[in-house]
Amino acid sequence: MVQAVQSTIQFPYKRSLGPVVGAFMTALTDRRIIGIRSGARVIVPPLEWDPVTAEELAHDFVDVGPAGRVTSWSWVASPTAQHPLDHPFAFALVQLDGADTSFLHAVDAGSIDAMSTGMRVAPRWRAARIGHITDIEAFVPGEEPVVPDDDGGPVAEPVTMMDYNASITYTLPVTPNQQRAEEANEQGRFLGLQCPVCGRTYTGGRGYCPVDSVPLGSDNEVELPQRGTITNYTIITPVQYPGQTETEPFARVHVWLDDTGVVLGYQPLLDTPNDEVRIGMRVSAVWASEAELKDLASNAEGRLLGWMPTGEPDVDDPDLVDRIQ
Amino acid sequence: MPDTDPIALIGWSVSPMVRSTDKTEAQMLLEVITGAVENAGITRREVDFTCAGSCDYVAGQAFSFVQNIDAIGAWPPKRDSHVEMDGAWAMYEAWLRLQLGDIDVAVAMGSGRSSTADPALIYPMEMDPYYLAPLGTDAASFAALQARALIDAGKVTERQMAEVAARARRDATGNPNAQVSGDFDVDTLLAEDYVRSPLRRHDLPPITDGACAVVIARADKARELCDNPVWISGFAHYSELHYPGMRDLTTSPSTTLAAKAAGLEEAPVEVAELQSAFTHEEPLLVEALGLAPDVPVNPSGGPLAANPIMATGLVRIAEAATEIRDRGRQRTLAHSTSGPCLQQNLVCVLEGGSK
Repeated sequence: MVQAVQSTIQFPYKRSLGPVVGAFMTALTDRRIIGIRSGARVIVPPLEWDPVTAEELAHDFVDVGPAGRVTSWSWVASPTAQHPLDHPFAFALVQLDGADTSFLHAVDAGSIDAMSTGMRVAPRWRAARIGHITDIEAFVPGEEPVVPDDDGGPVAEPVTMMDYNASITYTLPVTPNQQRAEEANEQGRFLGLQCPVCGRTYTGGRGYCPVDSVPLGSDNEVELPQRGTITNYTIITPVQYPGQTETEPFARVHVWLDDTGVVLGYQPLLDTPNDEVRIGMRVSAVWASEAELKDLASNAEGRLLGWMPTGEPDVDDPDLVDRIQ
Repeated sequence: MPDTDPIALIGWSVSPMVRSTDKTEAQMLLEVITGAVENAGITRREVDFTCAGSCDYVAGQAFSFVQNIDAIGAWPPKRDSHVEMDGAWAMYEAWLRLQLGDIDVAVAMGSGRSSTADPALIYPMEMDPYYLAPLGTDAASFAALQARALIDAGKVTERQMAEVAARARRDATGNPNAQVSGDFDVDTLLAEDYVRSPLRRHDLPPITDGACAVVIARADKARELCDNPVWISGFAHYSELHYPGMRDLTTSPSTTLAAKAAGLEEAPVEVAELQSAFTHEEPLLVEALGLAPDVPVNPSGGPLAANPIMATGLVRIAEAATEIRDRGRQRTLAHSTSGPCLQQNLVCVLEGGSK
């Protein structure tokens, strides 16, 4: 049976608005909708360049609407989490009075039966406006804008930035090879998958040999040794980004497993001062005990805690440093 | 088309089309690339250039296309490129690359696992980030605004749209890759609720995981490798402005321009494979392309039968090529599109015979 892993990715974008979009957003906080002149036409929402000729437009703004005429619409019976309203509504193209183009926004009409092409709508303003397209909560049927009793008024300074926050939950399959590699990790083993064509060995449950483009499966599994030699390393000074638990500089080493072509990259090195880390050092894998396992829920290496120096003499090979994968 | 060297399709492969695959995107690509090069009678070693079309937002991973390179077999290193577009545009880039004349064989591919997340939440992120994305306007909502404009203009009716869906599903019964197929009664379809009025479920494409790869080659190489190459006689794409409220949604001038640039009007085509993922787009595209009324459209069932986002357009090219190589046609048309309300359109004219 195929397992899956679910993860939610946040997309917290901050965007600079520039002189034209910024002017539009600033006007929204003042309960005004502005367009930009391009020759005889008025474009709403305003763009920095004419969308047909690509001419840069002078910042000749003009108030439009606030009421307008629906030129097309679609009833949304089941809104998504990203839609501006959480109950059934219409997306509509609205040609605001004085505009030559149509403005896309929501219409809060209560029922599909209240919608028709050509109907008149006006904006319902949000009380606390920040300079964002959703400062207009939605358009509503009729000629008169709706202003809340607790209207917050315009912002004091021009709006120059906007936030856009999306969140998407992804479900990705965990392949059988990845599952077996994780099971091996839980048992304190490294599972290798050896290409039947070129003989290269891969870890982490890779599904195919990227050189020969052949699928790898349980027939190609090989057990990998638990000892190796450090071929390269880096000392990382931690930056305190969210989720970073390290506070002091720490080593990450590349370990070439004995008698294989496998190099494991960026591995933790245990019980070794940073100034004693060196290329050629002999190390062996250390796995968490049953008692330690419960503290490892978020360990990127699974049950592998890291690598411990064995005390064997260093390997003296000037080419080791080139082996990082 | 003036001033371009003849280039031909010599192999292609389309993956199974399913609602949710247990394969990774790289695994899907591995299989279709292997299928396409075997279909062309070559190996990956003989491929000089590769270009992929995929989308990070769909994959749920930044630089997801880097992992997909594993499917190419890029050792010794290969020339490689990527477009955040349908694979049809990847093939366009590969076709352009081969025009330079220094290399002979290219693979283009498209892949998407739409089952990773809700496509209605992913699509808005690809829109204008100031005026459109924050409203969460999804692909079906945009399409519905265009459908309404066409209905109001008297260019299509909801019944005609249901008839397009019924015909596509009927045609798809012969396509082993179709997700949606069978005989459906138009009145029964019209009795269903709207998803995004005036669009009902049958007006929308299914959600699909899938991939496609094609092998193209310059003329001499194509003739050397293949008894019946399918020639790319015209290839062009044009884009309109992005914001749908600033366009006349009842026309598709970029489609018309692309068709003219690809030489579509020079001779009739026998079949058209169109990326009309929503029913109302078919009559609009047929008009914009100037197709004769008797030209069969999407005999495979088209995107209404299977819609692997980022590969749907390339599958149209593979289907149009199959019409020539396996079904005796001489001249066929494939179309792809990108952006809200058919913003950008690509036309590819294919021909059999010798060049």
